[in-house]
Amino acid sequence: MSEKSKTLPQELRLATSVHVKYIQSLDTRKDEYEYWLTEHLRLNGLYWGLTALHLLGHPEALPRAETIDFVLSCQHENGGFGAAPGHDAHMLSTVSAVQILAMIDAFDDLEARGKGKAQVGKYIANLQNRQTGTFAGDEWGEEDTRFLYGAFNALSLLGLLDLVNVDKAVDHVVACANFDGGYGVSPGAESHAGQIFTCVAALTIAGRKNLVDADRLGKWLSERQIAGGGLNGRPEKKEDVCYSWWVLSSLEMIGKTHWIDRDQLIAFILRCQDPENGGISDRPGDMVDVWHTLFGLTGLSLLEYPGLEPVDEVYCLPKSTTERILGK
Amino acid sequence: MPPKSKAAPKPKGTEPSKQPTPTPSPASNTTAVPATIAARSQFRYDDSRPHDAARLKIGLAGLPRDEQAAWISARFARTPAARTRLPPKAQRELWRQVNEASFPVRALRGSKHSWGRDRNESEVSGYSAERFDEREGRRAQLTCLEVASRGFRERREREGKGVRDIVTGDKIVVTEAEVEAERIRRGEMAALRSELYGTVQGSFALDPEWDDIVPIPQGEPEAALAAIAYPADYDEAISYLRAVMLKKEYSQRCLRLTETIIEMNPAHYTVWLYRASNVFALKLPITDEMEWLNKVALVNLKNYQIWHHRHLLVDNLYPTLAGNPDELARFATTERKFLTQILVQDTKNYHVWSYRSYLVGKLGVWGSPEELKSIEDLIDDDVRNNSAWSHRFFLVFSDPAHTTPGLAATEPDPAAPQDITDREVEYAKEKINLAPQNQSPWNYLKGVLVKGSQKLSSVEDFASGFVKGLGNKDGSEAVQSTHALDLLAEIYAEKREKEKADLCLRRLGEKWDRIRIGYWEWRRKCLEEA
Repeated sequence: MSEKSKTLPQELRLATSVHVKYIQSLDTRKDEYEYWLTEHLRLNGLYWGLTALHLLGHPEALPRAETIDFVLSCQHENGGFGAAPGHDAHMLSTVSAVQILAMIDAFDDLEARGKGKAQVGKYIANLQNRQTGTFAGDEWGEEDTRFLYGAFNALSLLGLLDLVNVDKAVDHVVACANFDGGYGVSPGAESHAGQIFTCVAALTIAGRKNLVDADRLGKWLSERQIAGGGLNGRPEKKEDVCYSWWVLSSLEMIGKTHWIDRDQLIAFILRCQDPENGGISDRPGDMVDVWHTLFGLTGLSLLEYPGLEPVDEVYCLPKSTTERILGK
Repeated sequence: MPPKSKAAPKPKGTEPSKQPTPTPSPASNTTAVPATIAARSQFRYDDSRPHDAARLKIGLAGLPRDEQAAWISARFARTPAARTRLPPKAQRELWRQVNEASFPVRALRGSKHSWGRDRNESEVSGYSAERFDEREGRRAQLTCLEVASRGFRERREREGKGVRDIVTGDKIVVTEAEVEAERIRRGEMAALRSELYGTVQGSFALDPEWDDIVPIPQGEPEAALAAIAYPADYDEAISYLRAVMLKKEYSQRCLRLTETIIEMNPAHYTVWLYRASNVFALKLPITDEMEWLNKVALVNLKNYQIWHHRHLLVDNLYPTLAGNPDELARFATTERKFLTQILVQDTKNYHVWSYRSYLVGKLGVWGSPEELKSIEDLIDDDVRNNSAWSHRFFLVFSDPAHTTPGLAATEPDPAAPQDITDREVEYAKEKINLAPQNQSPWNYLKGVLVKGSQKLSSVEDFASGFVKGLGNKDGSEAVQSTHALDLLAEIYAEKREKEKADLCLRRLGEKWDRIRIGYWEWRRKCLEEA
């Protein structure tokens, strides 16, 4: 913890060391029911944990070589990555794989021991429907703006964004915009903070942020903050720490972070942490998990909480990573 | 064993007992039947070696003279030297002494035999004789069943090879009755194994129907960074899934396998996709599959694979309905019924609602009065249901009948009919009155006015109704709805009444919606710069 944070009152302190221990302990919980039920998220979970550790300033806390081995063991011939060894390749796990390798600077290993960047780029690009511009998650064709954002994220990190039809994809994102300024998972679907993040970030990566009705959207996003200081994802829903990312990063991208009450949100996130055993939960008192741990930390980072590494609001990676790779 | 050659004369006197009788002997102290089989074996051992216990404790020299002699004689009698070295007379004398001592001629060897443990991890050696015999009886039963089961597998194998029956000359055919008998037999075997050894048999290994499939176990690298541990039956089912997916088998048994796995882990992504493949490959009636899916959906409300599966089913079904408006309408009705049913449980489920908007588009039922009524019912139940409001906007303002394609969502649409716009404005107002601080109908109202190219000030009177005495310092300032105040600020700005607009925004930031003061201050600045 930095000097500044040491002077904060107890309830406003981030329990950094127990959070690090919590994340490190995750791969030792192999006999827990929850662990095998979430096998289809294994690689994603690794990305969440690793990013959290980087933001906490402890990138070394997970062994680098084993991480690379595990990631590469999830890769298929077609370049795509599955969620765990033996799982079919999918966009989401592929994106997580690219993000992990980016963070630990292991693209060389991908070239030398994996199937190489080009093959990964090809896998992702093949998931675009060239007629509609949308992206599927895998050969089964489920479409979701998350996959579109994921594709843009991974391809731009690999330097291969030109493999896909960016304009058509942008058209699709615009079609998902709603009357209230928000974005949904598909045209006509309800505005949802998570979907808003993917759409706005995708437009940002494509250099088309101007297409966002920033004032309308910013207002809608600012309304996500409820009385306790936490953020929800849609009107009249409960607050949840993960919206500290979806809502806040969206606000950051359109330059409207000052439209919510920062201090109240910081206090809310800190109330959601388990200061004894580590980890952050969706709301105070609930069970922690690595997903909410990451997004609580990214929220705090965006709010410039002392002692945390800055996070890139578009890529959800440490700024040090995106600066190194994209030269931002 | 003592040498039994013709040269050795038959011992006179009592026949040496071949089996120790369970009567007290000098070697043991038990006065009753031994309590455990371990004790019984120990008893038999000791009984066949009289004096051994004492000898071990105090040495041969410590035994009384006659016991010493007896022990030595018995020991010597067992050796080949007793026959080869002793002349016949001495041999006779030796045997006479041995008979008198009534030693068991055959001494049991010490055994390191272990009966193992039972299902409760207790040593079987601790069992009483009756209990042990009972256990041995069941083990014999299990062995018999195993023999019969092996016979079944061999018959199956021979059937597969087209072997003919030796007696009748006909090709061997394994009948349904035999399979059923085997299934029962395996059940009995599993029960016995469980009872005797506590082993748990996977249900697939038990099922003769799956004999031809070799399951593929999880093959992860040792000590993987994020290794996965499974409960045994889930592990088994997934192993079978891997095997059949590899050989791309589509069959009823695979369908049942997917159902089993889905029951255990409905979030398993691949199994749903494989199930869809099976349904389509087997050309199963989609409506049956949807009925099954409905049941699963109702107990797995947060699961999104279910809704993607439904999506795939509808895509597959649609071509058969496309030309037939009655069929389409019927399908829309049954779907609406189910959606209504599931939304009762989880009124804002995002997957359900996004499926609903997909369905409306797919079936082209924007203009359906039933669909609109269904949404109105939901809003009646909970006026704060933002999903329902959002869906209503979609129904009304994305209806191709009166929507200009390609417009941005927050752009006015000249194709939007006046009467519909008016109707929607009235609807929104009506619902706002029920809960003035409810955000959804205010967003809706603004959205409608914009789409319908109406001036915001057309609802000035309505909005003003929720705000009294704005700016009064005597405590008479009353704001029933911050959204009304927000809208009024926009209305005044639209009418170029800057001061009134600024007052609204200032009071919002100062008192009525302080958490968003950053936003209200920005609005004030925009106002100033305008």
